[in-house]
Amino acid sequence: MSEQLLAAVSQYGAPALFGIVAIAAIGMPLPITLLLIVAGAMTAQGALSLWWALGAASAGSIFGDQVGYAVGRWGGPVLVARLSSLLGKRASLDAMENRVREWGGPSIFLSRWLLSPLGPWINLASGTAVYPWQRFFLWDMLGEMTGAALYILLGRIFSDRVMSLYGVVGDLTWAVVGLAATLILGYQLLVGLRRLKPDAPGVQPKMKS
Amino acid sequence: MGKLWRRELLIGLAFLAAVALTFVFGYRAGRQAHRLRMEREPIRAWMSIPFIAHTHHVPVSELFAAIGVHPREPHDRRSVRHLAHDLNRPVPEVIDQLQRAIDAAAHKPGGPGQ
Repeated sequence: MSEQLLAAVSQYGAPALFGIVAIAAIGMPLPITLLLIVAGAMTAQGALSLWWALGAASAGSIFGDQVGYAVGRWGGPVLVARLSSLLGKRASLDAMENRVREWGGPSIFLSRWLLSPLGPWINLASGTAVYPWQRFFLWDMLGEMTGAALYILLGRIFSDRVMSLYGVVGDLTWAVVGLAATLILGYQLLVGLRRLKPDAPGVQPKMKS
Repeated sequence: MGKLWRRELLIGLAFLAAVALTFVFGYRAGRQAHRLRMEREPIRAWMSIPFIAHTHHVPVSELFAAIGVHPREPHDRRSVRHLAHDLNRPVPEVIDQLQRAIDAAAHKPGGPGQ
């Protein structure tokens, strides 16, 4: 399937890119990072205008994200259940709702380009959590434009090394996710260990008999 | 207290797993980035002839000639799979021909491999 999509972008350019990223933003798991890198390589070859590529990728993904948000907010429980069953389990949607309430904008921004598999979930959860639409749109636009610019420009710079670059980007994304998890868990561990110290506030020292 | 210790132990184990994940993928990314310029890019069925020509620094006309196709004007962006279908030949065979043409171009004086 991804091969046909790549061939479509290679042959039809910006309109194909717009359509595919919009469908992926709604929730279909598609290799968007590779598509953006390929689009970037095509801009270096003169087969696609850089501005058209950036515009189509950003507009397509923002459009798809708005659909996800609208389903979450105004679609009603039946439509939400239908879309979330396409994405996974209901429990995940509840977890994402909590994440949106806790982190707000940054969770929307990061799930556009760094943690992109979470993107469709965050869209739906932002809608069900009644996150303000203007704020959602702003963070979404910033995130999608960052992602499109990052991957398209990388593809443009390394236009003769598309497949190798895709491998590097994939590993690098996981390394960044690992680093973020290390920092968060390290902080939680530190706070927890301080709480366990005998002289810490709230911990009763044992009485000698 | 015992519950708290168990929770800390679990967080500690998750922390170690996260550190390992960071190192493994960081190392892999670094190694791949280092080899980025040296490795040969594979030809895939979704790629168009101008795309392959750009990747391997070979003239587009040489690759079209190698598979016996007259390119459509002004830009022929059909994929290798599409071309193989039009030529009624298997995709691996077309890829092989393209690879041979690229290798031949690389061995020419002043070619991409020189």
